Amino acid sequence: MSSAKQSVVWDLQTRQLLLPKIGHDIFECEDVIALDTQTCRFAVADGATEAFDARNWAARLAQHWVEREATLKSEEFRKWVEIEGQELHDSWNSLSLSWYSEEKARNGSFAAFVGMELNLETDLPLWQAIALGDACLLHCRRGALLKSLPLSHSENFNTGPVLLASDSSLHESIMQAVVTDSGICENGDVLLLMSDAIAAWYLQRLEQNDLDPDEVVRTKCDDELSQFFDAERLAGRIRNDDVAILRIEITERRIN
Amino acid sequence: MYSAQITRANPTCVILLIDQSGSMSDPFSGDSSRKKSEFVAEAVNHTLHDLVIRCTKTEEVRNYYHVAVIGYGRHVGSCFSGPLAARNLVPIAEVADYPLQVKSSYKRVSDGAGGWVEIPVRYPVWIHPAADGKTPMCEALARVKEIIQRWLTDHPRGFPPTILHLTDGESSDGDPEEFGRQIMSLGTDDGATLLFNCHISSRRSAKIEYPNDETSLPDGFARSLFQISSRLPSNFLAAAAQLGVHAVEGSRGFVFNGDPSSIVQFYEIGTSLTGMTPYRWMDDTRTESA
Repeated sequence: MSSAKQSVVWDLQTRQLLLPKIGHDIFECEDVIALDTQTCRFAVADGATEAFDARNWAARLAQHWVEREATLKSEEFRKWVEIEGQELHDSWNSLSLSWYSEEKARNGSFAAFVGMELNLETDLPLWQAIALGDACLLHCRRGALLKSLPLSHSENFNTGPVLLASDSSLHESIMQAVVTDSGICENGDVLLLMSDAIAAWYLQRLEQNDLDPDEVVRTKCDDELSQFFDAERLAGRIRNDDVAILRIEITERRIN
Repeated sequence: MYSAQITRANPTCVILLIDQSGSMSDPFSGDSSRKKSEFVAEAVNHTLHDLVIRCTKTEEVRNYYHVAVIGYGRHVGSCFSGPLAARNLVPIAEVADYPLQVKSSYKRVSDGAGGWVEIPVRYPVWIHPAADGKTPMCEALARVKEIIQRWLTDHPRGFPPTILHLTDGESSDGDPEEFGRQIMSLGTDDGATLLFNCHISSRRSAKIEYPNDETSLPDGFARSLFQISSRLPSNFLAAAAQLGVHAVEGSRGFVFNGDPSSIVQFYEIGTSLTGMTPYRWMDDTRTESA
């Protein structure tokens, strides 16, 4: 994707990786990545493992937010989530559920979410994001962290996050935790959307300065990266959780 | 220790060991309408319900736990009946699929505006109350030891077994201490088997919950149960704190002269395992129809 602005074109290079928990199959992965490089919209959602139909809820949030160009404003976001949640619950009506699935479904589904839109029509690329829970957006420049949201330190990942509920009766308090933010990019900047376990690992590496996490993500092929993260998980440096990484590198290209 | 992740490849086992001797037909002190055996059966059914729900992934129940409910009174053996009759350790997915019946209930939940609303819930029943015969605690603990030994042969790694033992009186077939010690000497690479004991009483006596030493215990029987009660690992301490139960580093999984609320908390704390959220049900669920 590129967009001309006078003599400058901004190129986007994207890289994505999804990994299930160790011992699980990829179809059991409840992290979802969605992107559209034409509209420059990107999202990651992480379905809560203990929730009913969590993968579908995460997929619905991420894919529809990107495809339907959903809002970046927190006051409109609540209404949008309410509609998506109702559609999800409606999809369960035709199911013949066992007593335990019925019990589980009664509580609805839950997911963490981060969505970001890039505007390449401005002099410098502008990102705008909306997030809730512990799926994160990190903005890095030359290996240093400029901004991270909604969580900014690795130690913040240990508490139970507020998640997007499919049941709108829970939204009154939940939606107060929605975070919105924006930032300006320069040539070579990297934006990362990640689910919680890998975001915590990434932030910890930056905090401890013991490894350049972007070099790992940028240089290793998919198989090498999967093996590397499995080893990190087995060593206890990454919690055994699903992994979703969407890396977007922004580069400037001048046209004569 | 006590930190292994519970997965389908590395499940754990939970054994609910319940006293079904004749004295369990007595009521709790101050509540002549409710037999101890009835309350315990209800607590066991709620605990099984909670374990099933924790393992439910949309339309599948994942076998993170293998569960046994062993009773002792006139007989010693599995309390399951129907399709699960005579089974000891049962994968939780099978427990889910074979309750004896499923009742309809209502549960009170917060309406988010300071009030309460009632929502319908399903209430499965696996065991019925029983109270007959003496208190063959030693035989029951020996049976539990056999079950655990067989389990550990196939599952030497992972979160160790947890036994939640509930009784209302002294053993009628000898001193249970040696049998308890033998159980506690078994374990996995993640720790020794956890044996927690809850003694309940029909008398109006001061209850002692999760002590970290013997000084407050009234007699030899209490001290004997204390000795065969495991220290609460940190995850269980966290669950106790979440429930507002006073337990400190070194506290044993032990209650003496417990009342109905002690039983509920005992099962909630005892099944919290690796940091899982305790399940709250007492006083907010009522049965509508059988």
